Amino acid sequence: MKEIIAVVRINKVGATKKALVQAGAAGFTALKVMGRGRLVEDKAVIAERRATLLALAQKDDYNTEKLITEFLDGTRLFPRRMFTVLAHDEDVSKIVKAIIEANRTDYNVGDGKIFVLPVLDAVRVRTKESGDAAI
Amino acid sequence: MIMVRAIVRPDKKEVVLDELSSAGFHAATVVDVVGRGKQKGIKFGDIIYDEIPKSLIMLVIQDEDKDDVLDVIIRHAKTGEEGAFGDGKIFISATDEVYTVSSGVAGL
Repeated sequence: MKEIIAVVRINKVGATKKALVQAGAAGFTALKVMGRGRLVEDKAVIAERRATLLALAQKDDYNTEKLITEFLDGTRLFPRRMFTVLAHDEDVSKIVKAIIEANRTDYNVGDGKIFVLPVLDAVRVRTKESGDAAI
Repeated sequence: MIMVRAIVRPDKKEVVLDELSSAGFHAATVVDVVGRGKQKGIKFGDIIYDEIPKSLIMLVIQDEDKDDVLDVIIRHAKTGEEGAFGDGKIFISATDEVYTVSSGVAGL
């Protein structure tokens, strides 16, 4: 039994839910979280998006520029959705692959992380089933 | 790899995150949570507050960095010299696999 914790972009929640259903994991818990990833050291990766966002912002002061840069290079915490999915050992790779497939973008950074943790036991409240039968 | 989940006072969240970042552990996920500890909440007269707001900081690190991370969190989440009730707890769980979505590669 494994617990899959995936932190994904908020606008990818629908796609992730669909991917989970197709991968055979219908049940999940989702949570609004704030997060940040590894610092982006190579500024060239975010240069293009930074230019686009600056153009959209229509303001050219120092604060706007700082805000946009910090959001893109990961200095700030930004909103993400955290999915928690319980899965049988043999389904883990399929579900992970489905989540990756659904969440990939062309931005290179900020697409999220997936963690797989071992779970000791699970119990279904309605029937008191435990272990693998509870999932 | 291990997952560290630290429950700290909301006002200590910023300083803990900053110090973690300067210690080289930048990536983290933060959730606002409510909870109570073994003191059964806070009691003022007849009123018991047992849903005390805290911040949950979640990060996944390599096994050998555990002591560094714990040291940073404990040092900066503590209030006063001795610490006080309500400073929080740290939980550590095993993590089997980690994937980065953008590249699809396994590993931190």
